[in-house]
Amino acid sequence: MPQKNHYAFVIDISRCIDCRACLVACSVENSVPMEHTRIWVKDLGVQGEFPALKRSFVPYNCMHCDNPPCIEVCVSGATYKDPISGLVLVDQEACIGCGYCVEACPYEARYLNEKRGVVDKCSACTQRLEASLQPACVATCLGGSRMFGDLNNPDDPIHKAIKNARSSQTLDIVYRSGRETDPNILYINGDVENSNIKPKLPEYTLAEEGWKNVLMPLVGLGIGAAFLGQAVMFTKELLSGESEFEE
Amino acid sequence: MSNYKAITLEERQRLRQKRIRKHQLPNILTHWFNVGVWVLLLPTGLAIMSSPRVSITPIWLQVSIRNLFGGPANLITFHYTIGLLWIFVLVWNVLFGFRRYFLPFAQHRMMLDKDDIGWLMTKPAQMFGLLKDKPLPPQDEYNAGQKMYMYVVMLATAGIMASGVIMTFHEFFPPILLQLAQPLHFVCVGAVVAGLMVHVYMGAFFPEEKESFFSMFTGEVSAWFARAHHEKWYWRKVEEELEWEERVRLQSQAASEHPQPAVDPQQPG
Repeated sequence: MPQKNHYAFVIDISRCIDCRACLVACSVENSVPMEHTRIWVKDLGVQGEFPALKRSFVPYNCMHCDNPPCIEVCVSGATYKDPISGLVLVDQEACIGCGYCVEACPYEARYLNEKRGVVDKCSACTQRLEASLQPACVATCLGGSRMFGDLNNPDDPIHKAIKNARSSQTLDIVYRSGRETDPNILYINGDVENSNIKPKLPEYTLAEEGWKNVLMPLVGLGIGAAFLGQAVMFTKELLSGESEFEE
Repeated sequence: MSNYKAITLEERQRLRQKRIRKHQLPNILTHWFNVGVWVLLLPTGLAIMSSPRVSITPIWLQVSIRNLFGGPANLITFHYTIGLLWIFVLVWNVLFGFRRYFLPFAQHRMMLDKDDIGWLMTKPAQMFGLLKDKPLPPQDEYNAGQKMYMYVVMLATAGIMASGVIMTFHEFFPPILLQLAQPLHFVCVGAVVAGLMVHVYMGAFFPEEKESFFSMFTGEVSAWFARAHHEKWYWRKVEEELEWEERVRLQSQAASEHPQPAVDPQQPG
């Protein structure tokens, strides 16, 4: 089944004033503990030569990638790409908070809630989407910097914003040969590609990497050899019959 | 070495009639409880493991098992609920049956002796078609291969239980333990399953071991089976029987010389 919606954030960098109301709204809406946050506003720093100085801010959260590296490492499928909305979500009933995905995310958009022992991240406020509301951060953004909509729906206002934008960029990264993350945050009217915000390559924990590269082949070999051994014995017994032991 | 192949047909038939108790009822019940739990836990565990990097089952199988339980969260809840029950029953059985069932079970069955080392040096080569003429040393109630597998199972069971408890109560453990518990759980299960291939084949399909399969229900094997496969154990049983005979003889002698109320001599187990 093809994905029904293709939700994406469109963020107008020129309109963000770093008020961080979105952080507050997000934390309140999603009961994020005080010491953590699901979303950020990054500072690009002062740019240009005096007197033509410029300072811009970049609202930042989970990119809801089309090819998310975090999902590749989740052993139980607790984090998954929703087949209908295309959002990257965490099933916290299934998550055990091992943090493989936290290490793998190129955008460091996930955090570990150690008290509850689960991983948490931006869910684009699915509970609000179901009630036809915008995510809390978008609804609260006074400058209209944060926008959210469905790329599959041609009537969605975000298409107008993209069409009228001076520039449109994503923080895409190739993390394996021929495989890009294809993030779903479009940054318009600003330059993030040549900025201090750099996605990192996915990191794989030693436990997960050793599991995949050492233990997997080892156990496969052991079980395979044992199975092959008994299969050979079984065939031999079948061919020779059991007459030898019956009087 | 064993001379059982020289035994005449009549003697074989006589030995076949005679039953020797090999397994106590609690051990039999624990065994089949264990089988049931493994049948439930192995497929659900394989279905939980669904990341493209470490999953080993085809996706349609994962999806169908997940759908059967209603999503990964329910599947995981089922998996650890059965797992906790398994831990509880097994620990309970070992603790409360320790003196009566576990110690006798362990005494003659776990320690490796000289014959076992000889068996371990000969048998693997024979499986590859070498040293065919070399006789195998006589074996006790369990042969050296079974003893080795027992060590693997005991260590792996401890590993499975410990890592399973860590993952079930994940909010109380640091992430590094959770990261290590997952591969540990996998490796321990892998080690048991590799041996299980041989265990199930030997127990259920291998014609020479037919009796050991039925002994897992009745608890008894024939003296012929014991003589052929577990010679040291068989002779120990015969010795016990002779001792019992001797004791009865002495008691009846004493009774005839000094008449006393009769006391039932105890039967050997």
